[in-house]
Amino acid sequence: MASCSGPGEIHEYTVNDLEFNLEGPLFAGPNSGQAEIEIDLADVVGGTYEEGMRISDATLKAASVVPNDSMGFAEVNAFVVSFASDNEDVSMQEAAVKNPLEEGETAATLNVAPEAELGEIMEDGKVYVILDADLAEDFWEGNRNFKLNFTLELTIK
Amino acid sequence: MLRKLTFLAVSAVIAFGTLSFDLQQESENPGDRLVGIWEPSNGRSRIKVDRIGNKYYGRVVWLIEPNDADGNPRTDINNPNPDLRNVPLRGFRMCKDFVYQGDDTWSEGTLYDPNNGSTYSGTIKMRDDNTLDMRGYIGVEAIGRTDVWKRLKMPSKKKK
Repeated sequence: MASCSGPGEIHEYTVNDLEFNLEGPLFAGPNSGQAEIEIDLADVVGGTYEEGMRISDATLKAASVVPNDSMGFAEVNAFVVSFASDNEDVSMQEAAVKNPLEEGETAATLNVAPEAELGEIMEDGKVYVILDADLAEDFWEGNRNFKLNFTLELTIK
Repeated sequence: MLRKLTFLAVSAVIAFGTLSFDLQQESENPGDRLVGIWEPSNGRSRIKVDRIGNKYYGRVVWLIEPNDADGNPRTDINNPNPDLRNVPLRGFRMCKDFVYQGDDTWSEGTLYDPNNGSTYSGTIKMRDDNTLDMRGYIGVEAIGRTDVWKRLKMPSKKKK
């Protein structure tokens, strides 16, 4: 999904349909789901990839959430998307939010935080993506399922 | 008599098996004892701690005052990043990136105070299974403040 190249190459990296299963029982308020992605730089950079290349900077450009079950967005107040890694020197970053969710929405386009510094989180390639869904009511039976689509702008050196 | 001895032997095997399983689980992620719902000393919020990867994070899951003066859900209005001031405070991850160091201690994390938008370095020391010393500091750990958090017991069934 690379879009352009050059010195200090900038590439777009898009993830579609990343699935989040929020396992019940769920309580009114925030509930979290997490997923893992592995960014393969050789795949992102393509033919110009060289050993030793690394992600020096990353910015979230767009993010959206769609329902992945028949409940849709029923009783969902808000979504927050965060990124984290196992690197002990790097802190989790909130990167996008939708609050409040408009009534009747079938896809939620999140407001991204361009200042969120994601480069160090992405550096190791293995990234945890966390979706927080703020629920208005308890859900004692069953799970809630959502899909996240997002696009990152990666600077690769 | 033989039946009684057999029963005792089977019971012992089951008990030992359970113990081994518990010990194995604990040794896999000994830091998971931090997972649960905790209440700071002022009783104004409750924090749920989860593990993501090899780190521990705490989210606000309950606030004594969930709404602002206008009746709207409180948001993180003091966040230094203006783009994130609309993030709901209920659900906000105020403890981040704690790593279990052994000896009932989690460190390398940060504590966020939504009252002023400040982030502090943090260390968590578990006094016992239900009591934490949460220490926040800037720069030197010796100069900081410690708050005592108590574990909240969750009801196992929905109240009708």
